[in-house]
Amino acid sequence: MTEPTIDPFEFELFKNALLSVADEMALTVHRTTYSAVLRDNLDYSTAFFDAKGRLVAQGFSLPGHLGSMPTALAAIMRRFGDTMKPGDIFALNDPFDGGMHLPDLFVFQPIFIDGVLMAFAGSISHHTDMGGRVAGSNAADSTEIYQEGIRVPVLRIFDGGVPNDTFFAFIEKNVRVPAKVAGDIRAQLAACHIADAAFRELCAQYGPPKVERLMAELLDYSERLARAEIAKLPDGVFTFEDWLDDDGIERGKPVPIKVAIEKRGDSIRFDWTGSAPQVKGALNATLSFAKSVSYCALISIIDNAAPNNDGVFRAVEVVAPLGTIVNCTLPASVAARGLTGFRMIDVAFGALAKMVPDRVFACSDGGNSNISIGGYYADKTPYIYCDFTCAAWGARPWADGIDGNSNIFANMAGQSVEVTEAEQPVLIEDYEILADRGGAGKYRGGMPYRRTYRFLEEEASLSVRSDRRDIRPYGLYGGAPGAPSFNYITRAGGQQELYPSKFSTLLRRGDVFVHEIAGAGGWGDPLEREVARVMKDVRQGLVSVAAARDLYGVILSANGTSADEAATATQRATLRKARGWTEAPFVQREEIAPLAAAAE
Amino acid sequence: MKNIRVGVDIGGTFTDIVIMDKTGEIITKKVSSTVDNYARAISTGLAAALGEHGLAGGDVAEVLHGTTVASNAILEMKGARTGLITTKGFRDVLELRLLRMPKLYDLHWDKPPTLVSRELRLEVTERIDAKGKVLAPLDMDEVDAVIDQLLAEKVEAISVCLLHAYANDAHEIAIRDAIRRKAPEMVLSVSSEVLPEIKEYERTSTTVINSYVKPIVGRYLTSLIGDLKSIEVTSPLLLMQSNGGLTPAETAAEMPVHIIESGPAAGVIGAQSLARRAGLDKVISFDMGGTTAKAALVEDGKVSRAEEYSVGGGIMIGSRLMSGAGYALKVPAIDLAEVGAGGGSIIAVDAGGVPQVGPESAGSFPGPVCYGLGGTEPTITDANVVLGYINPTHLAGGSVKLDAAKSHAVLREKVASKLGVGVAHAAYGAHLVAAANMIRAIKAVSSERGRDPREFGLVAFGGNGPLFAAGMARSLGIRTVIVPPAAGVFSSVGLLFSDVEYHLSRSYRQVIGTLDTAALVAAWNALESQARDKLHADGFTDAQIVLTRTAKLHYRGQAYELTVPMPDGPITAETAAHLGDAFGDEHERTYGHRAGPEEPVELVSLNLSASGELDTMRGAGRKAPPIPADPPGERQAYFGTTHGWMPTPILLRGHLAERVWTGPVIVEEYDCTCVVPPGMAVALDEYGNIVIRTVAD
Repeated sequence: MTEPTIDPFEFELFKNALLSVADEMALTVHRTTYSAVLRDNLDYSTAFFDAKGRLVAQGFSLPGHLGSMPTALAAIMRRFGDTMKPGDIFALNDPFDGGMHLPDLFVFQPIFIDGVLMAFAGSISHHTDMGGRVAGSNAADSTEIYQEGIRVPVLRIFDGGVPNDTFFAFIEKNVRVPAKVAGDIRAQLAACHIADAAFRELCAQYGPPKVERLMAELLDYSERLARAEIAKLPDGVFTFEDWLDDDGIERGKPVPIKVAIEKRGDSIRFDWTGSAPQVKGALNATLSFAKSVSYCALISIIDNAAPNNDGVFRAVEVVAPLGTIVNCTLPASVAARGLTGFRMIDVAFGALAKMVPDRVFACSDGGNSNISIGGYYADKTPYIYCDFTCAAWGARPWADGIDGNSNIFANMAGQSVEVTEAEQPVLIEDYEILADRGGAGKYRGGMPYRRTYRFLEEEASLSVRSDRRDIRPYGLYGGAPGAPSFNYITRAGGQQELYPSKFSTLLRRGDVFVHEIAGAGGWGDPLEREVARVMKDVRQGLVSVAAARDLYGVILSANGTSADEAATATQRATLRKARGWTEAPFVQREEIAPLAAAAE
Repeated sequence: MKNIRVGVDIGGTFTDIVIMDKTGEIITKKVSSTVDNYARAISTGLAAALGEHGLAGGDVAEVLHGTTVASNAILEMKGARTGLITTKGFRDVLELRLLRMPKLYDLHWDKPPTLVSRELRLEVTERIDAKGKVLAPLDMDEVDAVIDQLLAEKVEAISVCLLHAYANDAHEIAIRDAIRRKAPEMVLSVSSEVLPEIKEYERTSTTVINSYVKPIVGRYLTSLIGDLKSIEVTSPLLLMQSNGGLTPAETAAEMPVHIIESGPAAGVIGAQSLARRAGLDKVISFDMGGTTAKAALVEDGKVSRAEEYSVGGGIMIGSRLMSGAGYALKVPAIDLAEVGAGGGSIIAVDAGGVPQVGPESAGSFPGPVCYGLGGTEPTITDANVVLGYINPTHLAGGSVKLDAAKSHAVLREKVASKLGVGVAHAAYGAHLVAAANMIRAIKAVSSERGRDPREFGLVAFGGNGPLFAAGMARSLGIRTVIVPPAAGVFSSVGLLFSDVEYHLSRSYRQVIGTLDTAALVAAWNALESQARDKLHADGFTDAQIVLTRTAKLHYRGQAYELTVPMPDGPITAETAAHLGDAFGDEHERTYGHRAGPEEPVELVSLNLSASGELDTMRGAGRKAPPIPADPPGERQAYFGTTHGWMPTPILLRGHLAERVWTGPVIVEEYDCTCVVPPGMAVALDEYGNIVIRTVAD
């Protein structure tokens, strides 16, 4: 049989049609889900694969899911590749065989046309609960996977169209909110169903051999575009290292993350060797997550118009030694590995900043902080407040970092203060951008914000998963590091308590908890910052008069509204002399002594 | 005698004027927009149109107007210098937005700058909780101080938005009164008046937008009224709102937040009116111009509305999930999906050797290469010229000259030769790719909302809509395409079919089953009397007033609400029970499932739409156009590899009155061109609409 020829317009139309199938899957999940995690935080992804399990088109996606779906499908194909038949659907969440962390359940449906396996539709959703010792199955302080919830091995959850009742009953009995979880699994099944129907239409329109050929071409097309972009990057090996404050168990012991990015010709390799051995706290990541981070960093710095699919991944190799925090083994706990992902993305960008200084930003806020407040009202009905707050972007070689914005590795929405107060027993006393917290620079780091919570009920548990309290977000090419994060509580009796970045405590009526996110790093020499930009920040209350003088060398004139040019020139010369740079340091960071166990 | 009505729609390039007399006869006039002062083109264009037909300004009964003046003020950041007074601790609500980005993996993305600069966002000590209880009293000394500070900053407008003001407006009112005392002329917007609903970011953003555009809209309307007076038009001036209803100029000047998306709304109302008269329950309106294409849904005679949207967020890029662009506006607006596909969309070949259409556009200047105004990149219009769809020598009755050879040359050089295909093949491929992009807009308002497009008819208009509609309809499984008369200026026509309309709402959070019926009745009565007062003030009698109640509900804990209709008549305990059931039904219809009866359903807000029906001439049935004396022309047109080049009759609309034709057929008119692909049947209906059947019945 001769290969069907491909018309360029036909290809473009097919490409759009297939991407729109993946998008329709994503919309289906969005429309049918029960949970706020999926709806507000869009913590799910959908994708479409060819018969070999290669990712062809990805729908709306959380960056953290980018590399995860092919890994999960590969695990399914290893186990069931020979026995798949029409009407089968498979699921898993096991981090040690295709999964990432337990709340993320993967669902895949093979699509057969005339009895021949042609494709797979797949989705991953973060479920509200997967059992385990803590509601939400998301605790940072579990030390083994067995504490974190139920592990779903690779399972056939529909067998020739017949649901596997054992699976569904087992889930129902082991999660805290069975109706919600079952509803959200139905949303995933609905997405696969939509994809199946849409793909059948495409096969009817083009004929299966042509569809097969077009899907293969779609991979080659993405690979061509990605490789062309990678080829433009300078060759070499670029390394970077950064640290998590600690793993939440061994307090005050920084956890190193390291990468060596090697770029040769039109290929690139992310080698995470040198990162910490896997840790006791639940910060351990899987290889698939290491891939997601690597892909996200690369895609963010190249001009890539091609669909993110297996073709792009062919140009990228990811190495992560087994038994480390970036590729853990049993019985590691993994629930809060998101934080490790955020640090890995900081590290990857740090290395890329050496490769292409003009394309990469300084360090962002360190990733989102997770704040959970849970307890029971007097009538024993439960409440759970759970928020992931992101704050600020690192300064860019061409612009300031963004103040108050989701991290690039996530894309979370904020929750309304008024809705929170209407539904939860908390009063949010402020939600405000913090001045002087973004690192100074020719372009300054983004300013983070503070949220202050006054607790209004009898008693609740407060659990906080944050970072960047001890090790500040780095600045680049002369830019200063961002300010650290802070957690403190003013008890109803007036007692003040300072906390580390990861902790749990009890809140009682009238206690006030304050979380301040870390500021982002600056880029370039602060003394080269345009005086007008400094003055604008001063006017807007984002940079204090003292910081303008001490960090930027800008002296205000007597009227306080404009800069004194002569005094500024003198001040800048003085500062320049005092610091004695021969050239701007590539990276600036700072460690703060960890909180002694004092506050505990 | 005042017996004619005038619709005026302003676009970036052209101002379209439509005059309708008592018999429903329509006169159209297209003039160039006067960008320095849009009002001038209206008065001079209208004067000319009236003069040409022996009419006078005094004959005009009313002027109905759709305008982009408010959205342009935002897009161009040319609004008023605005101050904001807010609760202590919350000055950055406007800056922090919802934290989300509309794009992934893009380090170059930036938040749109806030419409109120941080130094003009000032705080006062006060606090109200979610139930409306005052936790901290308003500090009036601080209020005086921040007002003085804003006045010293020479702001032109002030917004007031305090936390939970939807539940208790006392502090906002006190601040409002204090501002009035100090600066009686100050332009003011108060959140509890503009949008008394929960969610501080959406409420603040909406209130601020109102202030930001208010002085600009006010000046524009004053100038327009003056200009109209100078040509003796002293009739009422009514503005099209984003929700598709009209509002008097005075009200629009007070609450301009409702006319931000005035421009695209009228065409959808025109499609709605057409559907009603033609007895069609379900139509999709499809409007394609030079730079963008827009789709909207009309179901059971009602336009589908969105509760909130963003302005200046750019056009839809692929997925509707990518929210976070532009400025949030939480006022009802016609639910439009927009894609960057128009006659000016540029055709290019990407680095991977694959053809792309748009979103870059050659705009109206330099425009398509065939215009000969300096355009160098091939556009969709050039492709349509190559295909023989568009007249190869001229448009608009000869007022725009075309050079088809230029279209051929540029498509060959920049597309066909790069891809190794023929020019016609390249042009046809580009035509299909553009159509596929626009199909996504139609899916966004139909299948993505749980509606099957195959059950709808497609009403196509705008300068380019009828060129694509039939082919797109066939891909979507839509059986009927309707191209109305004056399709190229259909937005102006739509203005003539609109009613005066107000949308009022208030937050009302109660779980169904524990509702206090008396309190609910009181809340509705307050809304309804407010609505009647407004319409009475506009001169409507009770007989002309139509009130439509809806309520927003969700399962407790859900982040989003659904809107369900609420029955007319007295409100009783049954009404509340009905709401719960109706919500369950709508949830199932939209999302495919409903929760069990144990799941509490919460009422979130009460919404009232109040319309005053204009009893003036509503355009009786139009007569079919006369059958032209000249026989149809013919030229070669290309319809893909299956059909190739075909000799294609070139008709005037009137030729279709003779008999049913079978495609290929091209209908050429002054303001647009309609393409009927091979095999489709086309005829005229009794209203003069072109009706295309995409499949044999």
